[in-house]
Amino acid sequence: MFFDLNVPITKKISANTSKKGKGTGNEALVSYSPAEIAAVEHRIDLQVHLGYTILSFCQTINKRVDPKVHVNVLNPLVALLRKRPGIVYLKRLNIILDQDSEKGFGLINANVTFFNSYDLLSLCPTTHNTFNQACLTHSLPSNLTAHIISLPSTLPRLPFHLKHTLIRTAIKNGAVFEINYVGSLGAEQEPTLVDANAAESGPAAKRNWWAATRELIRVCKGKGLILSGGCVVECDLRAPRDISNIISILGLAQDATHEASTKTPKSLILRAETRKTYRAVFSEPTVVLPEDSQIRSSVPGPVEQMEIDPDSSQVSVSKRPHEDSEPLNVPRQSAAAQPSKKKKKKPNKSDKSSS
Amino acid sequence: MVRFKNRWILVEFIPIVHGDSQLGKQSTSSPPLDGKTIWAALKQSVLTNFGDTGWGAVGLSLTVKYFSPTTNLCIIRVARDQHKIAWGALTLLTSVEGEKCIPNVIHISGTIKHAQLAAIAHNREIIARYRALAKTSVFDDGYETFLENSSREIDALQD
Repeated sequence: MFFDLNVPITKKISANTSKKGKGTGNEALVSYSPAEIAAVEHRIDLQVHLGYTILSFCQTINKRVDPKVHVNVLNPLVALLRKRPGIVYLKRLNIILDQDSEKGFGLINANVTFFNSYDLLSLCPTTHNTFNQACLTHSLPSNLTAHIISLPSTLPRLPFHLKHTLIRTAIKNGAVFEINYVGSLGAEQEPTLVDANAAESGPAAKRNWWAATRELIRVCKGKGLILSGGCVVECDLRAPRDISNIISILGLAQDATHEASTKTPKSLILRAETRKTYRAVFSEPTVVLPEDSQIRSSVPGPVEQMEIDPDSSQVSVSKRPHEDSEPLNVPRQSAAAQPSKKKKKKPNKSDKSSS
Repeated sequence: MVRFKNRWILVEFIPIVHGDSQLGKQSTSSPPLDGKTIWAALKQSVLTNFGDTGWGAVGLSLTVKYFSPTTNLCIIRVARDQHKIAWGALTLLTSVEGEKCIPNVIHISGTIKHAQLAAIAHNREIIARYRALAKTSVFDDGYETFLENSSREIDALQD
């Protein structure tokens, strides 16, 4: 199971400036011509042939996000693509941060509904302050966590020093750092990134990429890294094991490179689903009532007597011959009332392929 | 006993014509790819990406053992200690003789036997894909003879 979490889609929205078009209902303005759809399908064919099963389309926005202006161009695209069994499509938003975004760039609670239409959020910091923000504040679990931090590795000089403590905090909070292999080929990058001076193409970009990526691997010590594409043209796509080999030439151990292309992205996607939950609580906790609530305290060993799985209708009872059935009724009712407090509805993975 | 260990890399070159990959279609490139041209392109790639030292490490043991123009399948033999450099240079290869292509490494093995088996299995897959696209009767097309000939060629490979 191989992941490519960066399939860049650039779509110019027609400049329709009618006042009535304000608001998040602008998706109707985004239309894909059959030629564009065919091109995307062709590219997906190639990636499936190379071995990728999970693809995430990526829309890049510069500086700040304004839900009144920006439109989720990926929703209509995913709806129009042909369904392939076993292939999962995801939607991702990449925000380029620079000096103007230091005060705030729209990742606020008021815009949560806009961000919920994307499965993954990522940031591309270009200054020291935005890198600090991205690592410390935006990686904390919340409704607006940006789980992926993508460094501009093709710039001539990495704009900020990669401080070990920042990166360690980010990884502990659950964020990951992304390595885009398109830079290693010196190939064409996404136009929005190039315009915002966050990426370069050409042979000089190759040299910068090797230096910056080596530094990133050294600081991350092999944890919290994902490999992804970022290729705009088809001829730059490469098979996932080839990319793992390139990264292992850079100094990462072979098992760590394999993890970076399989295990880490998988747990990242699952973690990103928790944006829709309260404080990243994932599992279904069982309710264990303390021994003195409504129950005779003379019974020893209360835990195994009271442990109730909210889903099951049976109450697990320890074998005590002189117990009567009365205390069992009470906990069943109160337990049934409580579990809805923290339960999270787990969206099924199969929903994604049909989204 | 210091035995000389090798790695046999099985690569498929996917041709790109006008920015579109030609998966499943016959290659119609006017200068047909050849084992020698692939070797030259690979040497160039090692030189640009890993320098003279890289070529010095890999160059003596790098040989292109088999190439089939119909399926764009190539078998390359490298010494085991430096196979990563050769593999990396292969991935970073963008064009052969001016023709853009995507190198897709299908299989790496330490013995020739498994490389042969993987190559024959891969040929079968490619022919199945061609057949699915062509939709002609299975017995009419020349693919059966091609499969037999290529299997014979692959089995005739020696160390």
